[in-house]
Amino acid sequence: MSSWLSWPVRIVSFLFWYAKEFIMANVHVTLDVLRPASRMKMTPAIIAVPAASRSDSEWTLISSLITLTPGTLTITISRKHGILYVHGMFVEGREELVAEIQEMEDRLLRAMRREPGDLSRPVMAPIVAPEGESGGGGGRR
Amino acid sequence: MNDVSMIIGVGAIFLGIFILLVSAVGLFRFPDLYLRASAVGTSAGLGVACIVVGALLIDFSWMNLIKALIAVLAQMLASAVGSMAIARSGYQNNSLPADITWIDDLRLTRRDLHDQGEIPR
Repeated sequence: MSSWLSWPVRIVSFLFWYAKEFIMANVHVTLDVLRPASRMKMTPAIIAVPAASRSDSEWTLISSLITLTPGTLTITISRKHGILYVHGMFVEGREELVAEIQEMEDRLLRAMRREPGDLSRPVMAPIVAPEGESGGGGGRR
Repeated sequence: MNDVSMIIGVGAIFLGIFILLVSAVGLFRFPDLYLRASAVGTSAGLGVACIVVGALLIDFSWMNLIKALIAVLAQMLASAVGSMAIARSGYQNNSLPADITWIDDLRLTRRDLHDQGEIPR
């Protein structure tokens, strides 16, 4: 029964947390755009982030929210393997970006689901080899 | 009260113009499609949202509040979905990330590189 009571609190606290992250990321990116080229310190990377989302709406919201945050961009997802392919602008290391995205996803899922339920991420190391079946084009997922 | 909301509204409009200007500068300064899409797509969304909120504060009514909320939500959604569509189709059409991109997990999923033997299975 307490999950009914804490649900609105979780939704509102997610919205405030996301607004804070959104503004901070905006300032960060704006400063980097205006910095002289010699001191630009961009370290972009495309990272496979294991995701805990299950339903269509969860996948849509988490990938949109990642893209909406300046500096990070969802390029594509693999629902089958539970992976978000995220392009980050300031990536210090694989673990840092994965932790950042997974924190956002944890908070989002706790706000979206009445019972937080299963937040586990079954794929620890992403399965990256393409399928064996024939078909043209590259990198299609 | 009217003066205060007028000043805040004009401030929000100028902030929005500044954000749009910065993202336009970003278009020229960033080296590849993905950096441009992630910086510009979202900053442009925020810039338009700021301008809409500023206009709302200058000319406030409940009807305008509803219109502004819908406009901001639609703008955010459109800029997010648009950036993702551009980035995804760019990757599928061989627009490679700039050399400073130091990890590229998506590259490992490319079937054509596996066929050429550039990446071991």
